[in-house]
This record gives sequence, structure tokens and C-alpha cells, in this order.
Amino acid sequence: MKKIIGIIIALALMSPGLAAAAEILCASTTSTENSGLFGYILPMFEKKTGIKVKVVARGTGAAIETGKRGDADVVFVHAKEQELEAVKAGFFVNRHDVMYNDFVVIGPKSDPAMIKGIKSAAEALKKISASGSSFVSRGDKSGTHTKELALWKIAAIEPKGQKWYLEVGQGMEKTQRIANEKQAYTLTDRGTWLATKDKDKLDMVVVLEGDEVLFNQYGVMAVNPEKHKHVKYAEAKQFIDWIVSKEGQTAIGAFKDKTGNPLFIPNAKSN
Amino acid sequence: MSLAVLLDGVARTYGGETVLGPFTHAFEAGTTTVIMGPNGSGKSTLLRLCALLEAPDAGSIRYYDRDAEVPQDLLLRRRVTLVFPKTTVFRGTVFSNVAYGPRIRGNSPDDLSGQVEEALISVGLVHKIRQDARTLSSGEAQRLGIARALALRPELLLLDEPTASVDEEHTTFLEELIVGLGRQVRTTVIMTTHDRHQAEKLDGRILFMKRGVIFPSS
Amino acid sequence: MDYIYEGFRNAFQLIRTLDRELLAIILLSLGVSLSALLVASVVAVPLGVRLGLRRFPLRGLVLSIVNTCVGLPPVVVGLFVFLFLSRSGPFGTLGLLYTPTAMVVAQIILAFPIVVSFVQAAVASVDPQVRLTALTLGATDTQANRVVVREARTGIIAALVAGYGRLAAEVGAILIVGGNIAGSTRVMTTTIAMEADKGNFELAIALGIVLLTISLIINGVLSVLQQQGMRRSA
Repeated sequence: MKKIIGIIIALALMSPGLAAAAEILCASTTSTENSGLFGYILPMFEKKTGIKVKVVARGTGAAIETGKRGDADVVFVHAKEQELEAVKAGFFVNRHDVMYNDFVVIGPKSDPAMIKGIKSAAEALKKISASGSSFVSRGDKSGTHTKELALWKIAAIEPKGQKWYLEVGQGMEKTQRIANEKQAYTLTDRGTWLATKDKDKLDMVVVLEGDEVLFNQYGVMAVNPEKHKHVKYAEAKQFIDWIVSKEGQTAIGAFKDKTGNPLFIPNAKSN
Repeated sequence: MSLAVLLDGVARTYGGETVLGPFTHAFEAGTTTVIMGPNGSGKSTLLRLCALLEAPDAGSIRYYDRDAEVPQDLLLRRRVTLVFPKTTVFRGTVFSNVAYGPRIRGNSPDDLSGQVEEALISVGLVHKIRQDARTLSSGEAQRLGIARALALRPELLLLDEPTASVDEEHTTFLEELIVGLGRQVRTTVIMTTHDRHQAEKLDGRILFMKRGVIFPSS
Repeated sequence: MDYIYEGFRNAFQLIRTLDRELLAIILLSLGVSLSALLVASVVAVPLGVRLGLRRFPLRGLVLSIVNTCVGLPPVVVGLFVFLFLSRSGPFGTLGLLYTPTAMVVAQIILAFPIVVSFVQAAVASVDPQVRLTALTLGATDTQANRVVVREARTGIIAALVAGYGRLAAEVGAILIVGGNIAGSTRVMTTTIAMEADKGNFELAIALGIVLLTISLIINGVLSVLQQQGMRRSA
């Protein structure tokens, strides 16, 4: 019995130690991880450089915070303004645009607020609020949530506290499912929508897309080694260099979801 | 070998109520004393004090080996034992229960099994030596309690209503055993009972107690 | 209804083919929970025994603190361990956040009060007559205590089972301090939560079944040990 326990402890405690040779911790978002992108591109990077990238998936706010605290080496999120702000504050260096996808508003097939056909996101949101149809919000300070709040601002509506506005504090996929159950509208990223609509049997359609404000830019940045001496800046830099390189960008473009849809469009500026 | 016990003005109070004493008496070495008295007369308290489980609130208890006073330490405690009216068995077999006392005294396993068997034979329980002790009937458990005490070869044996839950046949058996202890082994025995006939059969001095003190015998 | 059935069918398929990733997740879960239980017990069992024997300074105070901690919400424990182990926290230099060790630390804190409390209760509930009887048979204080603990063995094993139960079922604390990193700190409960979130119910159900089965096996092993212990003491 004691032997067995000993072996188990050894397994549990040594496994990270053994792999510690060259690995970095990347704080990213739940939506990015759930899309399967990391599972696709990280092995390529590891094969090339021998650096293992471990991913902690959080909401965008939490992921940036993780980096600020020095608990990660590199941050890969999609909230450009917040990212630039954090870089300006000296927490991060070496920020690059990596890729983008876009947000869409989805809603019940019956489209009770009748927003299908409207081009402007602000218009559409105004109609939703006026119609009394429910709108489900991530409410989790994620990139999607941040985007959603920005959209409400553009539409000059204060949704918080309204009866039709449901903040669920969940990840994207769960939020979609809640919207589906409640016959409500919600803002989602196209990647998650495409990857999950059939699997989750969502009885919903895209009712708003294409407005420029729905653009979702992903960026990568390294934790500033001057703020946190222990971070593996060299390795983090290698990762950033690779992901914005032709090779990394091609890999991102080649990644497709289970149903064969490309989820992200690479747009790193070559430097 | 046997011990004498001298109690001088011993008293014990629980929560302000005196349950024993002042009690003065000499239990001589190698004698059997039977204490009778109604419930609450302080018999059990007296035995617990003599067994060194509790200390008196007043007076003194002294133990003598021949003429030498014995210091009250672990060694003395190991020469004295008390059998409660209802035996608490330890988990394990009848054997391990009886072997407990000799084992903690550091006796070798060989000596031990001889002692255990002997004790179990004396109470007529040797055929159950391998049985789980917790499956014994209450009468059997009581005899186990006595065997556990005998295996220690005590020099002062305190028995608190040892036959209360034992059937008639085994009561006689145990009574003979106690008489034998007094006569052959010359152990000092102090025993309490409710049963007047039993008291008379046991071939010892009879003391009556009432409200914590010795009552002039009739 | 259909997809619950589907889920179970695919779950069994997954278990039958038990791929390496799944196996690693299962082993890590076991490793983290069992080592946390073991480390916690090394201190918690003796402390529980002492408390149960009523030989402890400030026993009442210690007991009420321990009993309050039994109900500690795992997420709160996780949060505090996170704050302490974070690079910006007091133990940041250890670099333990997002490692299995951090998960073990959080789970030690969760297991500790349960084990102490249950062991205490088990020992305290032993008939006081047991101790007295041992004393009449010539036991020293320590020897008498040992008898009491032996009598409480069933309850002590139950304490360990309860402790393991809490750890195996726990997701809040290990998610926060472990980060649910694939191939590193991803365990059964965090995977179940994540996969259910993603709508991958097969994998979630499969792991749920494995989790239950393991609990069943551990309970079985412990009760066998318990019976063996009884026979050995015979």
C-alpha cells in the first residue's frame, strides 16, 4: 500500500519537473482554447523549437491579469485596446497582431426583433432592446463581453439592470446554449458559432454580421522581463516570432474546425 | 504473593456529594473480603480507588507487600486489577483480549499463550479462544473479563459484581474459582455482590456498606 | 434523451480504448488527491486522535475552528492558495502556481479539517470504558490511548474515505490553482467541467463513470484493509 502511494506521489510531483526543461506558460482565452487552435499549432512549434507551450485558458480580463501578475510568460488574447493599455503600462512587451475572426449576433430563427437585414450593429441592438426580446451576455469580462459592452455604448443603450438583459458569467459555448434555451439573442464569435451550432443543436441563426465594429483582433505579447525577472522571455519571444512568421501564419490559416470551416484569418504584419 | 491494602479515612466526592467515606479498613494480604450493600452505597467507588483508577479526595490508601509499603507507580498498578460488572471487550479474538495484559508487560509470546490458555481454562472459555470477542454472549464476555484479570496473576484482585450477568451454572463455577484463588494462590480478593448466599459461600470476611461507610454487620 | 444514451455509449467506447491522454488525466487525478490526502493525514490523524482523546490545550477552540473549516468552499481555498502562490504573492518565487504541486497544496488544505474532524469524532465516540479497562489491565497512559485508537479504527478509515471523497469530487480549488492545463494540470473533474462546457458530453460522461468507479474501488480496497486489520489483530 505504501509503495503504491509512493509511486503515485512520485508520478504526480515529478511529471512537471521532468518536463520543465523548456516550457512556457501561455495565458489565453477559453474561446481560443476551445476552438482547438492550440492543439493544432502548438505541436508544430514544439517540434521545431523543443519548447512546450502550456495553456491556461481564462476570460480575456483574467488572462491579461495572469500575465500582469507574472504567472504566465506570454499572453494570447483578443482585446486589442486592453492589450495596448497593458503594454503602455509596462506589463508587456513585443505585442503583435496575430489573426482575427469576427463576431456575429445570433438569435432565434423566428427573429422576433426583426433585425435580419440590418447592416449596422448599433441599429440592430437598438431594435433588440426596443423589442423586449432577451439578450444573453457573457458577463465575464471576456474579450467577447468587452466587445459586447463596446457595441452597447455605440448604440447608446445601458443594458445593465434591464429585465431583458441576462448576464450569465459563462463561457461562449454555454452562453450560446443558454441563449438557445431562452430564445434570446447573443453576441458570439464566428469560430465558436460555426464549431458548435450543429453539435449543440442550436436552433438559431446569424442575424447580424459584417459590420466593421464586429471585427475581433487577436494579439500576442510577452510578459515584460523587467517587471518579472523569472519569466522565460527568450522562449516567449521565440514563440511570438514563430506565430507571426510565415510558417506560424500559414498554420493558423490551415486550421479548420471539425466541420471544415476555417476559424481564424491570419493577419500579422511581417516585420 | 499478595498485597495488603490499608484505607485510612478515605473519602470521595462527586460534584459536592460524598459517595464514599470516611472509610477506614485494612484488607489483609491473602484474604477474601466480600462487600455487600445497596446500590449507591459506595462499593464500586471503593474498588475504583483501590484499583488506582481514581485518587481519594481525603484520607490515604496504602499498599503493603509483607511489611514494606509499595510505592504507587505503574509497577504497583500492574500487580492490581479490577473487573467491572459489565466487561468491555476489545476488538479482536478472545485470545488477543486475554493476551493484552501479559503482552503490555512484555511477556514473550510463548509464556503468553500458556498464561492465556490457563486463564481461559479457569473460566471455562478455552474452546472459544479463536472466536471474535465481540460475538460472545454477555455471560461469556463477563467470564472473559475475569480471564483477562487472571492472566495477569494479580496480587490484589478487585471484582465488582463479577457474576451479575453470568448464568447459574457458571456462577457456581466462578464462585469455586474465587474460593480457590483465596485458598490456593492466596491472592487478596475484594469483591462486591448483591447476593447474600453468594457472599456466604465465598469463604471470606463479609462487610456491609451503606451511604459510603461500613455498616455494623448483623 | 437520445443524446444521453449516445453519450453513455460513446463514453464506454472511450473507456474501452482508454487513450493515453485520458489515462494521464486519470493518473494525475489519483496522484494529486491521494498524495494530498496522505500528506494531510500525516498531521491530521494524530491531531484528530489527540483531540478525540480530549488531551489537547484549547480543545474546544481548536475543534470549532476545525469544524468550521470542514465546510470551506473549495473555490475560496483555491483563491487563497492562488493569491499566495502567484508570482506576485508571498510564495511566488517558488513558481508553484499552475503545477500539480499547487493542486496538492490546495487539496491538503481541503482534506485536513475533514480528516481531523472525523478522526476526532471516531476517537471521542469510543466507549470511555475501553480506556478504563486497559488501565485496569496495567496499561500506561500511552498504551491505553493506543487501545482507544485501535477501537476507533473503522471510524479513522471512514475519515480517510471521506477526505478522499471530498478531494476526488472537488473542482473549484484545483481549477483555480492548477489552471486546467492540457497534459499538465488537467484532472478528471476539471476536464468534466470543461468538456461539459464545450458540449462534449461523451468525454464528460466517460470521465464521470471513471471517477465513480475509482471511488468505488478505493472504498472497496479500504474496507478490505479494514477487515484484514481486524483479522491481524486477532
